[in-house]
Parts: sequence; C-alpha cells; structure tokens
Amino acid sequence: MNIVVCVKQVPDTATERRLRPGEGTLDRATPDGLINELDEYAIEEGLRIAEAHEGEVTILSMGPAKAAESIRKALSMGADKAIHVVDDGLAGSDALATSYAIAQVLEETGFDLVITGSESTDARMGVLAAMLAERLGVPQLTLASKVDIDGTRITVRRVSDEGFDEVEASLPAVVSVMEKINEPRYPSFKGIMAAKKKPVRTLSLADAGIDADQVGLAASATEVVDFAARPPRQAGVIVKDEGDGGTKAAAFLTERKFI
Amino acid sequence: MSFIETDVQKDLRASVARLGERYSYTSYTLPRARAGEPLTELWNEAGKLGFLGVSLPEEYGGGGAGIYELALVEEELSARGAGLMMMVVSPAICGTILARYGTGEQRRRWLPGLADGSKIMAFGITEPDAGSNSHQITTTGRRDGDTWVVTGRKVFITGVDRADAVLIVARTEDHRTGKLKPALFIVPTGAENFVAQPMEMDIAEPEHQFTLFLDDVRLPAGALVGQQDAALAQLFAGLNPERILGAAMAVGMGRYALAQAVKYASTRRVWKTPVGAHQGIAHPLAQTRIELELARLMMQKAAALYDSGDDTGAAEAANMAKYAAAEASIRALEQAIQTHGGSGLTAELGLSTMLAMARIIRIAPVSREMILNFVAEHTLGLPKSY
Ligand SMILES: Cc1cc2nc3c(=O)[nH]c(=O)nc-3n(C[C@H](O)[C@H](O)[C@H](O)COP(=O)(O)OP(=O)(O)OC[C@H]3O[C@@H](n4cnc5c(N)ncnc54)[C@H](O)[C@@H]3O)c2cc1C
Repeated sequence: MNIVVCVKQVPDTATERRLRPGEGTLDRATPDGLINELDEYAIEEGLRIAEAHEGEVTILSMGPAKAAESIRKALSMGADKAIHVVDDGLAGSDALATSYAIAQVLEETGFDLVITGSESTDARMGVLAAMLAERLGVPQLTLASKVDIDGTRITVRRVSDEGFDEVEASLPAVVSVMEKINEPRYPSFKGIMAAKKKPVRTLSLADAGIDADQVGLAASATEVVDFAARPPRQAGVIVKDEGDGGTKAAAFLTERKFI
Repeated sequence: MSFIETDVQKDLRASVARLGERYSYTSYTLPRARAGEPLTELWNEAGKLGFLGVSLPEEYGGGGAGIYELALVEEELSARGAGLMMMVVSPAICGTILARYGTGEQRRRWLPGLADGSKIMAFGITEPDAGSNSHQITTTGRRDGDTWVVTGRKVFITGVDRADAVLIVARTEDHRTGKLKPALFIVPTGAENFVAQPMEMDIAEPEHQFTLFLDDVRLPAGALVGQQDAALAQLFAGLNPERILGAAMAVGMGRYALAQAVKYASTRRVWKTPVGAHQGIAHPLAQTRIELELARLMMQKAAALYDSGDDTGAAEAANMAKYAAAEASIRALEQAIQTHGGSGLTAELGLSTMLAMARIIRIAPVSREMILNFVAEHTLGLPKSY
C-alpha cells in the first residue's frame, strides 16, 4: 500500500510568532521549526497502517529549505522516503494554492492513502484534507480518531461535538487525523541513523509540474487585509470571599454565559 | 573535536528531550524518588529506543556511537529532571569495560541486555575502609581449581536490588610475586553467599544504595573479566565514562534548575517589575548559565578525547568536567531555590530534593577533594600529602 503523509514545518508554538508587515504572512525565518504537532499523529498512523498492511510511507512536505529538518525527523520515525517541494514561488500560498500544489505532486506519485493532520498550528484553517480530496476526486474522511482498513475498504471514527460518526469509503482516499488517534513514537537511535540514508526527492515548481501562476502570495484567493497585535490582557476581577464567594463566582460565570 | 553537532547528534538530542518531557520531573521522577521507586517505564522505553546502549558496539545490539552520545542522552534526560543514575553504572561503566575487555562469551551474554536495558549491572568498588583510597580495597578473589572464591564487603553500591549482577572490583594474588593486583568479577546478584542490605540514606532517590557481603562467593572461571593482568587498564576504561556521565547528570540538573528559575523570575512581580529585572536575581542566574556552559564544554571535550581513544588525555578532562559540573549544578539549584523565595522550598517544586541529588555528584564517584588532589599532583606537579 502506497501511503503518503503530508507534513508541514511550523514555528514552535512555545515561541512568539510574528506576521511579516506588508504581506501579512507568517515569518517562517524563526529559528525553531518543528513538525506540525498533528502531523506527527498522521505519520504515526501512516507507519502503523504500513506495518499492518505491508505498506510504504512517503513523507510529502512543501516548504522552505529549512523544512528538510522536519522531513529528516519524519524519516527518523520510520517513514521510507520523502518528497520536498521547495521553490521561492510557493511562498505565501494560501490553503487553496497549497492544495493545488500538493495535489499536483500526488497525481504524479500516485497513492492509496493520503494522511494529513487535521489542522496546522500556524494557519489553523483545517481545510487542506478536504481540498486535496476534492482536487484528487477521491473520498475525504476528516477528523479521524480511529482508522481501520480492510482490503480497499476504509472506516474511520469521525469526531463530532456529540461523540463520533462512523464513516466508510473505499481507497484511494484522503484522511485527516486528530490527536486522539494514537501516541506518536519518538525516533529511536537506529531510526535517526537510518534517516540519513533514506531518499529525499527535492522538486521545484517546474519539476513537479506546478503552474507558477496558480501558487504563491499573488495567486492566493485569500488576502490578509490588516492585522494588529493582540491587546494586552485586562486585569482580572478579584472576588473577595466574605462568605458569599461561591455565589459571586457563579454570578460572574453566568454573566459570561459559561454556566 | 568540533563545536558543531552533527545532524544525528542534534536529532538524538531532540528525541531524548521529548522522551524526558513525557517523564518529567514533577509528574514522574519526583513522586517516584519520594516513594523510593525505580523509573522502570522510562528505563525500558529509553532502552527500547536505543538510547541506553547508544555507545555500545552495534554487533551486540548497541548504537555504535560514543560516550559523547551517551552523555548527551543523560544530559537531556536530566535537563527534564528525568536523569537515570543507573545509566552511569550499567551501560557507561560496566558496558564499556565489557565491550573493551570482556571475553567473547561475556560480551555475548551481557552486552545486548545492557544495551536495551533488559539487563542491569551494578558496579561495586567502594568499601568501608576504601572510598577515596580505592586502591586499598580488601575484597579478594582466590582461585580454587576451576572456580573463583570471592570474599569481602562493599558499601554504597547503587541499584543492586534491580541489577542482574554486580561488577565487583577485587584483588587477586599474583601467583609469582604474591602481590595483590586488582581484578574484576561479574557476580550475579542471586549468587549463593551474596547478601545485599539496603542502606538508609537521607536522599529521596529512585535508586537505593546497598551494603554487600560476599562470604566465599563461588564463581565460575568465566566470571573474571578479561585478562587477570590487565585489570587496572580495564578499571580505568570504565572510570572515565563514569565521570563524564556524572558530569552529564549534573549539567542536566543545572539546566533544569536554571530553566525553572528563569521562568519564575520572568513572571513573578513583587514591586513594579518581574523579580528577574533586579540584578540581585539576574546576575547570579547569568553566572550560573556561564558556569554550566563551561562545565558542559569540558564534559564534551572529555567525551571527544575518550571517543578518540585517548584514555590518558580524557582522564584529566573527565575529572575537571565532573568537578565543574557538580559545582555548577549545586549553585544552580541553590540559586533556583533562592529565586523562588518561599515557593522554592515547597514540595510541589521539589528543588530541595534535586539539590540533594546534585549534592551526590560532589562526592561520588570521586569526591571534589580527590579531583583537586589529582589536578594538583598530575597537572600542576605539586607534591602529594597522602
Ligand atoms: C549516592 C551514592 C551512590 C554511590 N554509588 C556507588 C556505587 O554504585 N558503587 C561504588 O562503588 N561506590 C558508590 N558510591 C561511593 C562513592 O564513590 C564514595 O562515597 C566516594 O568515592 C567517597 O568515598 P568515601 O565515602 O569513603 O569518603 P572518604 O574517602 O572517607 O572521604 C571522606 C572525606 O575526606 C575527603 N578526603 C579523603 N582523602 C582526602 C585527601 N587525600 N585529601 C583531601 N581530602 C580527602 C573526601 O573528599 C571526603 O570529603 C556512592 C556514594 C553515594 C553517596
């Protein structure tokens, strides 16, 4: 089974993130690039499915040269090979443009199963899996907390507000996963050593057959019109307990519709 | 030696750090230390991931890397408060000695287990009347036909309750000269006439120290490590990694303490500013950072020298690194406690418990004073007082 896991490098959520003035795009030059957390669950799920169904896992990442670190990390977890789409022309692509570029690569490589995290910690659009499925003309099974594969049938538990739905489709398909799905493994020392020798194909726009006019900041359908720093936090309300602390706290919460 | 770590070293650091975060100090190690319970889950997982055996030979299930990498693992775990004392002993001392000097049979029997953590070997040199003066040990191995009979007493031996065997440093009689020479024996903890009694220590730690009584413990010929004549070199081979790993634990604990202190100093407001704005708080923390970084650099130098095969060159650097790291980590914990004010002494933070752990490294495996003696005598050429 040919499993492709989409991996995005994002700035460390523990550090302060900045938008570039003018473009309104995220400043990706910050030193700490990490694998988007939910993508680690996607990698883990891909590896588990590959182990159970004799599959092969390819990491697909679109991002600047620095994303190579995250690709190496994904390979050290156990993926077999990787494709890195890297081109200055991709900078500033929104979800629509990104899904176009990634779909172009997937059309070329072929796949039985594409797995993504259900959203990235930087843009938080949560739409890439749906857009990919639409562009590729295959079923989408999003927000999965459990995946089962039986032959060409795929069943997932799709997390909803009330509980979960069971969704079934046939392969090839696109799945996006939630963090409940598994516990991602840590790269072992053997995995880290092996990652050095695994093949990483680097593709430019031209190599991947991506039309330069459909990607990048200029071609993006969405535009950041304005942004401002978050206002400083207001001082909190201190409720002094004079025997009626509970009532006052409840009133405070009711006023804000928490209870 | 390069100051720039390879991708493999960086990736290993990152992966170990993640593991350490999962088994973090306040949620895992501290409660275990207080209950006196071992860190079995962490140990097993670190073993499975190849972290414990990273420096042991690949043909015996190890990672084939060096003491640099093993120290890196210990440092990153300790920096999350999840340092493993038995790493210093089992893979670093015993694993190294067996890999370098063990017989084929000893390597096959022990190394794969020491590498993946499924086997643990403790190390026993200290005796009631031979601590700093370790060359005065009196535990002796006597040949009796095809077997060895070992008799003696050891104190402060860490982790014997969880160990499969203890590597016992003893002496044997040279059959030609009649003089006693050191010899290393692998003594199974289940051997007859081998008794381990827990010592009451005033430190909260996941491991325990034991007094060992060996009363004519009979061992097969294969229990003697390597060559009877080469024991001093064998011992030496294990002691440098021991000091480097001790330094790594200390550097890691110092990093943990400093990180806690900096976090608190950046947010705790007493007057108008966070307390970290006052030089009285900021400067000692900056100083701590410098001292930790220097100790770490010396530890890395020692590891690089050791891995290059320079045992003698590594000895001075390993001693200096252990000295500097112990001192820096103790000061870091001291200052972290002071930075927190009263909170620094709360049970929740567990900083006093960690200070006691850091305090161990000023004494063991070799005391601060004995390192100063070593440097005075060997580096400076000053006369010896003892
Ligand atoms: C928590 C812990 C775990 C340990 N684990 C192990 C273990 O697993 N295996 C093992 O074999 N041992 C272990 N030890 C023992 C440790 O290595 C010894 O405690 C250490 O070597 C010091 O020996 P000692 O306690 O006999 O002190 P002593 O040698 O009695 O020294 C007492 C004091 O005198 C000082 N001193 C001695 N001689 C001189 C001198 N010439 N000049 C100046 N000062 C001097 C020392 O520095 C020290 O301050 C452990 C100890 C502790 C505390």
